[in-house]
Amino acid sequence: MRSQRKGKLIVPAIASVVLIAVACTSGSSGSSSASGADCGQPTQLTMWHGYGKVIDNQGQTNYEAKSLTDLVDQYNAMNTGVCVNLDYIGTNDHALEKLTVALNAGEQPDITYQYGTSMPQLAGAPGIMDLTDKVQDPTFKWNDFVAGARDAATVDGHVLGIPALIDNLAIVYNKDLFKQAGISPPTADWTWDDFRAAAAALTDPSKKQYGFAFPVDGTEDTVWHYDAMLWEAGGDILNSDNTKAAFNSDAGVQALTTLQQMAVTDKSVFLDQQNTGKIQQLFNAGNIGMLVTGPWDLSSLPDINYGVQIMPTYPGGTHASIAGPDMWVLFDNNGHGEAAWQFMQWFTAAQQIKADSLESGHLPTRNSVVKEPGFLNAFDKKFPGEGLFAQNLANVTKARPVITSYDQISTIMGQAIVKVMLGQGDPKTSLDDAANQVNQVLAGG
Amino acid sequence: MAVATRQQTGAPGFARRVLTSDHVAGWLFVLPAVFLIALFSIFPIIWGFILSLQKASLISPNRPFVGFDNYTHIASDPLARQAAVNAVIYTCLFVPTSIILALFLSIAMNQKIRLIRFYRLAVFIPVAVSTIATGVMFMWVFDSTFGLANWALGTVGIGPFGWFDSPQGAMPSLVIMTVWGWLGFDAIIYLAALQGVPHELVEAASVDGASRWSTFRRVTLPLLGPATLLLVVWSTISAVQLFDEVFLITHGGPLGRTSVPVYYIYKLAFTSSYGFGAAGYAAALAYVLFVVILILTLVQFWLGNRVVHYSS
Repeated sequence: MRSQRKGKLIVPAIASVVLIAVACTSGSSGSSSASGADCGQPTQLTMWHGYGKVIDNQGQTNYEAKSLTDLVDQYNAMNTGVCVNLDYIGTNDHALEKLTVALNAGEQPDITYQYGTSMPQLAGAPGIMDLTDKVQDPTFKWNDFVAGARDAATVDGHVLGIPALIDNLAIVYNKDLFKQAGISPPTADWTWDDFRAAAAALTDPSKKQYGFAFPVDGTEDTVWHYDAMLWEAGGDILNSDNTKAAFNSDAGVQALTTLQQMAVTDKSVFLDQQNTGKIQQLFNAGNIGMLVTGPWDLSSLPDINYGVQIMPTYPGGTHASIAGPDMWVLFDNNGHGEAAWQFMQWFTAAQQIKADSLESGHLPTRNSVVKEPGFLNAFDKKFPGEGLFAQNLANVTKARPVITSYDQISTIMGQAIVKVMLGQGDPKTSLDDAANQVNQVLAGG
Repeated sequence: MAVATRQQTGAPGFARRVLTSDHVAGWLFVLPAVFLIALFSIFPIIWGFILSLQKASLISPNRPFVGFDNYTHIASDPLARQAAVNAVIYTCLFVPTSIILALFLSIAMNQKIRLIRFYRLAVFIPVAVSTIATGVMFMWVFDSTFGLANWALGTVGIGPFGWFDSPQGAMPSLVIMTVWGWLGFDAIIYLAALQGVPHELVEAASVDGASRWSTFRRVTLPLLGPATLLLVVWSTISAVQLFDEVFLITHGGPLGRTSVPVYYIYKLAFTSSYGFGAAGYAAALAYVLFVVILILTLVQFWLGNRVVHYSS
């Protein structure tokens, strides 16, 4: 009887130990297998990115991911004692949330791709590398990076990221729709009145055709489209020391009035409430005449004959564009920080930036690459339209405020813009109302 | 025999007695489950409560305690009120609509007709389809310019509607979409309950001269009570916890009309759209939501016990 009991006891005991062991180890084996091939170097670094798989689900080559992978493979083959493992973590839109979770678990990567607008939040992250002194190394040529991107990387005087990608906004238009409507395509000295007139002329409800399209989900995507117009009219988001809202100026009202007139009066704008790619699909299907967008959309427009032109202006204003610089952020894990910096220096040197641009179509983050003789020709030939975007970097003279409360300010502005564009408010009142809320946020720290 | 052994060995016998008792064997069997539940449920619940007493962003380790400030702040937060109102509107539309439609469907599916298995499968399929697929589909079906819904209604002279794009239409559109997605589940539960209704009772009623309607009203419907209670409780909880469809399609818009509690909590905790360091406040809201769901459920069970007949 006793031996029988013992037997009874052993089964659950073994079962529990095995189950707990499985539960505990499966987590760790999962994370190591996700980070790719081991190249046999003593120091292993993990690098998070959102570029997707080299061969996408449709079997097409994803040149952004391929370019990144090629460069990393090249580095790993150099036998520097450091091996970089790429880890695709899904869309960059959620990179900050994923990093947040990883930081809480102490599982943060050594290098991660993050949006420039997330930099102020990341300033408080444990283990984040302060690169202020490192980038001053003359061989790194920090000042060669596009100014707007350097500003976005710098939080309270501390450089916390290295520009990974820079975009800007310009007009992308369907040449054939302009021809059909019998109007001349956008020129480099267009005003927003010209833009509005063209949008109205391109709109044809019977053909379900719109002149323009605008994301009205109220996110930063809504807001930065408006920011560019605000700057073109001579306005600013906040005052110079970031203590008060400035977007409810005459310039701000003028910019929002243009959007209101097109969306509400002319009904020439396709308003995308969900902002999950509908605009691009409709533009590519020939249902939309003009977009204001960045170079990333060009690859999803295989079916139309498109042209690119710099942003319109307001009388007495500029053709300002806005940049959405993204960053590589480094963490010093287990003393691997130096190794991560070594890699980053190589990875963002002019030669690698140029190679990446010509393979992936990314605009060069370094001015010297844009100015290199023959580069623009080769770039525009391989990626039609992108040459203009590269040149348009010169119109990026301002950056959005690099402060912790920026996201909150953006949410408030987004609601005001959406309200007006849906015909539920007038520009002046909505912006004043938003400015009051923003001032409260800024006063509350 | 066992008693004798224990008396002989004294103190070591105690250890053996403990080790060989059925209790220990039982606990060892459930130990893996207890361990996992503690790790993934109990620990986060406690941690969430501690977080709700702090002013915390999840990124920074600097998390000062602020007592119950996060809880008192809820009362003066217009966005929290908006989320609560939206949850009430959604629940009041979603729960009755889905349950009443499911009842009709299940009665239809309880008929002995040709291809009944096919119809049952067709009704249940939306439940098995992923929310992402449903979301992408409805995004286009309910597109105000290019959508199938406006085209179909237009052919009979109704519309066009703004659906998800209009502040008035977004919430009803969300209700239609989620009812479509969950109707099959409710209908299957009702179908099972209907098939459990004893034939003798229905026969007896008709022999006694009851009309079909009063048989249904007086015999069948009361016997569906337990299933209805289950569905009301279950639907209410899932309605209050609505998230996926909002996250995927409306992002809480237009103009906050579909900003529901869980979506607002998510935005507070994991983005800085409503301010940096709002994770503690988000945790406080999550706790309030938990208490609300608990109270709702208790009230529904209490009411249910007064009107539901469990025995036939």
